[in-house]
Amino acid sequence: MFLRLESSSIAMWVAESLWAYPILLAIHIVGLAIVVGIFSMRDLRLLGMFPGIHPAAFLPLSKMAWIGFIINAISGILLFTSQAVTFVGNVPFLLKIAAIIAGMVLAGIIQSRLRGELAIDSASAAEANNADYAISDSTKYIALVSLLLWMAAIVAGRLIAYI
Amino acid sequence: MLESFSLSLAETSLSQWILLTYWLWPILEIIHFIGLSLLLGGLIVIDLRMAGHFRALNQVGTHQLLPFVFIGFALNLITGALFFIGDPMRYSINIGFQIKMVLIVIAGLNALLYYWKINPVIHGWDPDANPPPIAKFVAYTSLITWTVVLLCGRLIPYVGTG
Repeated sequence: MFLRLESSSIAMWVAESLWAYPILLAIHIVGLAIVVGIFSMRDLRLLGMFPGIHPAAFLPLSKMAWIGFIINAISGILLFTSQAVTFVGNVPFLLKIAAIIAGMVLAGIIQSRLRGELAIDSASAAEANNADYAISDSTKYIALVSLLLWMAAIVAGRLIAYI
Repeated sequence: MLESFSLSLAETSLSQWILLTYWLWPILEIIHFIGLSLLLGGLIVIDLRMAGHFRALNQVGTHQLLPFVFIGFALNLITGALFFIGDPMRYSINIGFQIKMVLIVIAGLNALLYYWKINPVIHGWDPDANPPPIAKFVAYTSLITWTVVLLCGRLIPYVGTG
């Protein structure tokens, strides 16, 4: 199956065009910075940093993170096709994909908590600046695991080229 | 001058060690990638809010992210300097690297513009009002330059000499 993917016309284009592969890599790193950047700032907030920002204020930003994710899903799939057989047998690649899937699942859980228990209610929004938001231990734990998963995705992603 | 500097740098024992220690380069790359995520991640939040988007974010509160932006920059300055010392002849003549360095200087000047024109007065801004043109200019200049810095950096292995 992966062999057939690798010999598809789009995979051949990525592999053989002089600029397709480098340009996809360049786009992939911008998407990475958007996804990991926004999610790590959100996770740091949930872990108690940036008390001047309401945790739920990160909710609209997750749309930006999703844009980054879609950019990287597309560029990532195109990069994958060019060496599909090599990638499916590459341990760091598989770990990277596992970390991303887990990170996105946790992003969904965090998003629902930002809408629920941590939502901005209009009564407290006025004094939102210095209010002490109660972030539950389980939410903090999820944020920490999420942060570590995105770091792991970067570590594993970079090691694809070496292992 | 740059060439003779690069040549003499390449002969230092630090340069030899970086290039010959096989596990060091990937570790530096990993740190560089984490650093750029912190840098751009923090700036996306700060700059988009400064340009008037995502108004649920407390304008002044977003500046609490700045230490992470600086940590990201410091990590990348250190790892980036080690890349350069490890292989100076390759980087100094690379057009991707050269454009990247010019853009980082522009981003630095833009940051100075922020500290000169915006930081002293931002506390007095009406958070619901449309931000002044200078704020939008600094915010978008920051996001665009850093995005192109990332693009240029990733293209360094694939582009030729400048």
